[in-house]
Amino acid sequence: MIPAENILPLPLTDDFVPGESNFIQVKDFKFFYGKKRALHGITLDIPSRQVTAFIGPSGCGKSTLLRNFNRMNELIPGVRHEGDITIHGTSIYDPSVEIIALRRRIGMVFQKSNPFPMSIYENIVYPLRIAGQKDRSVLDETVERCLRSAALWEEAKDRLHDSALGLSGGQMQRLCIARAVASRPEILLMDEPCSALDPIATAKVEELIVELKKDFTIVIVTHNMQQASRVSELTAFFYLGNLVEFDDTKKIFTNPSQKQTEEYITGRFG
Amino acid sequence: MHAEPSRPHTLTSFTAELDQLRNSVLRISSLTRLNLENAIKGLFERDDDWCNNSIADDEEIDLLEMQIDREGIEVMSRFQPVASDLREVISSIKIGANIERVADQAVNIARRARKLNEHPELPELHLLDEMIKFSFEMFDDAVRAFAERNAELAKRIKPRDKELDRLNRELTETLVNKMQDDAKNLPGYLNLIFISRCLERIGDHCSNIAEDIVFAVHAQDIRHLAQANRVAS
Repeated sequence: MIPAENILPLPLTDDFVPGESNFIQVKDFKFFYGKKRALHGITLDIPSRQVTAFIGPSGCGKSTLLRNFNRMNELIPGVRHEGDITIHGTSIYDPSVEIIALRRRIGMVFQKSNPFPMSIYENIVYPLRIAGQKDRSVLDETVERCLRSAALWEEAKDRLHDSALGLSGGQMQRLCIARAVASRPEILLMDEPCSALDPIATAKVEELIVELKKDFTIVIVTHNMQQASRVSELTAFFYLGNLVEFDDTKKIFTNPSQKQTEEYITGRFG
Repeated sequence: MHAEPSRPHTLTSFTAELDQLRNSVLRISSLTRLNLENAIKGLFERDDDWCNNSIADDEEIDLLEMQIDREGIEVMSRFQPVASDLREVISSIKIGANIERVADQAVNIARRARKLNEHPELPELHLLDEMIKFSFEMFDDAVRAFAERNAELAKRIKPRDKELDRLNRELTETLVNKMQDDAKNLPGYLNLIFISRCLERIGDHCSNIAEDIVFAVHAQDIRHLAQANRVAS
């Protein structure tokens, strides 16, 4: 196992400053899919250990920006960017940053839950196993810790070695959250994590998001504006690749400054 | 800074329900205005029928107030309004309640008028003229400000309440002096003081309505500004 500090020039979780207002900094960031410009010079600061929601109509660039935080967009051929994104002051594009180490620091949860076709236990320890961890007690401790933080322990503790595919949709999504936090990331990216869930499963995931922000910096993309208003402290509204407004969630949903934001959140377009 | 939407909702049923709520507030306003007029007619024309109409018609206004609450709750539960829509729903419910209280003052005036009508007319009745004109104008402007979403007009209503308070104090003082000089008409003077008090209360409700309109339009809370500033400093 390669010690994290050898592959990770970025500061570790222990150095992390709670409540850092510009933990993630997006600096005049432009992003292109081939010739098509998807993001037009976005600048925003995301604070640590809070929930920041990205809202906006389909195609506005919110998921594109989210997927740049862990450089996932680079898997798509023909993409390029201008500007910079820093985490705790270090550019994610710094040549010394190992992309795998970066993604270990930044967990991601997708719209459709994607448990691996293996047991609940193996799903959670997967990130540790690929990092070379073999110590059974560490693996056991991680499974319990992660399932507890994903509020899934009580439901899953007696069936840890059953297939994860036998879980309900909501349980699968919480399992994916548990797996995302297994490698102790600092940032948790969530791309419409509840769009395929029923209201109770959604409520459980939302409750989990509020719990998880004590330990993680969470950025969530959602089409559900009530969800953004319920779980986030800050909300960014994107439209046509531009950041229209970024403010306290309470302000955005009671008295937004921009007419486009007002019209979008009140259901007048989008 | 605040943003004002200029296009309609994608969901036309949302717009329709907000319009319905707005129309209900306008309807309770016009019925209340009519009840106020009837009460004042009963007072000056010394006609109990007008007074009785005003008292009887209050029931419809009470029901309308409840309907406004229901419609507001329905819009909130069905469409989860936010921003300007949310402010509009909350303000409409509060404005509906304040207008219903204005209508209660019309009933109080009508009841006092019936008592006054039992005795010969007091010449001091006309001391109420200025307060009636003043409070009615405040009410009309409050309703117009709501109908037009005119926050500037609403902001001009609040200071006028102070003037109405002053007129009430002066009139009360005059009538108390009269009571000392003319003890046999004491109940009549007392009824005039109560009516003056009702008109003063109408001004208070108009002031509340004006505050709610400013909140709905500008997201600005102009209530209790002195206290809020003291806490902030």
